Amino acid sequence: MTLAGWEAVFFWVFAVAALVAALLTILARNAVHSALFLISTLVSVAALFVLLGAEFIAGVQILVYVGGVMVLFLFVIMLVNVGAEERGNEMLFNRPAQVATSAIFLVLLSLGFIYAIRQGYEGLLARDNLITQDQREESATRRRVRQQDLRPSATGTSLLSTDTQLVGASLYRFAALPFEIASVLLLVAIIGSVMLARTTKQEAATDDLETARDEGLVNRES
Amino acid sequence: MDMLALFAPPDLINGLLLKLRLGQETINYVVWPFIQIGAVVTGVAVWAAYATYLERKISAFMQARLGPMRVGPWGLLQPIADAIKLLTKEDLKPDRADTYIFFFAPFISVVAAFVVFAVIPFAPDWGVVTDINIGLLFVLSVSSVGVLALILAGWSSNSKYALLGGLRSSAQMVSYEVAMGMALIGALMFARTLSLSGIVSAQGLDSIWYIFYQPLGFIIFLISGIAENNRAPFDLPEAESELVAGFHTEYSGMRWSLFFMAEYAAMIVVSAIATSVFLGGWYFPGVWRLGINYPHLFVALSLVVFLVKMSVLLYVYFWLRWTFPRYRYDQLMDLGWKWMLPAALLNITLTAIAIFVVQALDGWRGMDTVTSLARGVNLTATGKAIMIAFGALGVFIAAGMLSVINHGARDFNLKKQRVGIRLTNPPKGQTAVASAAAAAAAE
Repeated sequence: MTLAGWEAVFFWVFAVAALVAALLTILARNAVHSALFLISTLVSVAALFVLLGAEFIAGVQILVYVGGVMVLFLFVIMLVNVGAEERGNEMLFNRPAQVATSAIFLVLLSLGFIYAIRQGYEGLLARDNLITQDQREESATRRRVRQQDLRPSATGTSLLSTDTQLVGASLYRFAALPFEIASVLLLVAIIGSVMLARTTKQEAATDDLETARDEGLVNRES
Repeated sequence: MDMLALFAPPDLINGLLLKLRLGQETINYVVWPFIQIGAVVTGVAVWAAYATYLERKISAFMQARLGPMRVGPWGLLQPIADAIKLLTKEDLKPDRADTYIFFFAPFISVVAAFVVFAVIPFAPDWGVVTDINIGLLFVLSVSSVGVLALILAGWSSNSKYALLGGLRSSAQMVSYEVAMGMALIGALMFARTLSLSGIVSAQGLDSIWYIFYQPLGFIIFLISGIAENNRAPFDLPEAESELVAGFHTEYSGMRWSLFFMAEYAAMIVVSAIATSVFLGGWYFPGVWRLGINYPHLFVALSLVVFLVKMSVLLYVYFWLRWTFPRYRYDQLMDLGWKWMLPAALLNITLTAIAIFVVQALDGWRGMDTVTSLARGVNLTATGKAIMIAFGALGVFIAAGMLSVINHGARDFNLKKQRVGIRLTNPPKGQTAVASAAAAAAAE
């Protein structure tokens, strides 16, 4: 898929925004500022998902990461005192060895990344029979026809995609077992964190008086 | 309802814009959306301002007072006077506050509250700004961004009251967000789409309001929505008796009023979603007949219907605020996690069972329940009756099951708690917990 016109503008604006915000995430001295830049990155990536036609993923990305995970991040940052790092004024790149190591890692990482993307892209092309120009044009025509079959939206100027239905159908038809395993994993994590956070003293002080009395916990001076 | 020609601007405005030598494409995709957005933003801002007036008036009538009476007839110009006052006030910044975040937080709040109005179907045809496939998900995700503003405002103020308010609000909104999203899923099972316009038209095609199928879902959504907006009786983040004003303690002038506007806009959003998902949106029995001969009158009337339904829900907000005392923090968390969330999950299960049963009954012993499943679930009169019975039953099932599960919980039986656990006035020389244990042992 080649980008043209406003799509290209959209892509470049959000891609550059995501990269710059990601850089600032690690360069900011204040932990809260870092979290905010990370939020900007996540929002930009969500916009790129919209460009890919994956609206559902974009919506879920905002809902889960920005509205849930990052809120808890901020929560923790505010409760934990991180003032010491903020006030320190050490340079970020202060020794030649550090700079050299990070530069080498950067080069290695980008080479590996570029190689992986090239391999993946070619693999996808081979899988979808998109190697010759004719095959690509045929696929584009097919996509266009499929898009014209979509229902018009209430405003009449655009068509409603069926992305959510596709995600739902494939999730529950082909990936029901992994989905269930993931939910069990999350449940275990929830119960485990509750068990870790709740001390016996707390239990004695709140609602389990009977249990606590049986274990002889409440009569002790607390 | 398909006889309405689906086309963006009404003919009159379209003609005017064409005379300005704009292309039809430009009008459809640029000019007309901007006109709509301008209208919606102005409308919501004015409405938010007048909601404060209404709230003061309603609270005054509830307390046998008159409320604002001085500015204009019946005090009608009071919101304008307030706006001018707030605009001209000094914009204070606390010492050692985080300048950028402190100035930025109110904007996040307002944007998160206002962007949502893009997908709300106020009326058919030209009454919709945009209609996207993930409409409801978009609303939920954008309004979940609003909580960031509260936390950031609380943190950046460099004040203990503001920080405590921010922390409380984040915990509260994250808890109730889950129940709020889950409560809508039952209705989505009937509508089979996330697009808000699609949900409204599914209710129109089935000629029913989903509140009848989903009374439990509606109750959970309304309670969670009120908690999500930090309104009384859930206004813990800004409890004035403990936290001065919560997260916006240090804000003044226009920035403070932005927070206020966002709060009222968020209230309007929750009412609008409840209206379009549970109360049939702009549908009202009989109104559609006008659509055949007078399409524009029909749209205008639908808009009025939508606004009236929304105002009723807004009135419920005010009503609750001036009727109920504030919840304690642990009660709030108990209500969210022990009642609202399990009830929402139960609602999903019961709805799935009900839909399955109604579909299975179709054709059994000559029964006819389902007309079609093409655009949402469409039922016959028999099917509707069964489904409504299931919905009403669901409320009792949920209430019964949760009462059994929560029976041992501390806040369920306050009388037993007072008798059994004497945490107040312990005898001298004994801690409260020890004396409570002794009292329990003596029984």
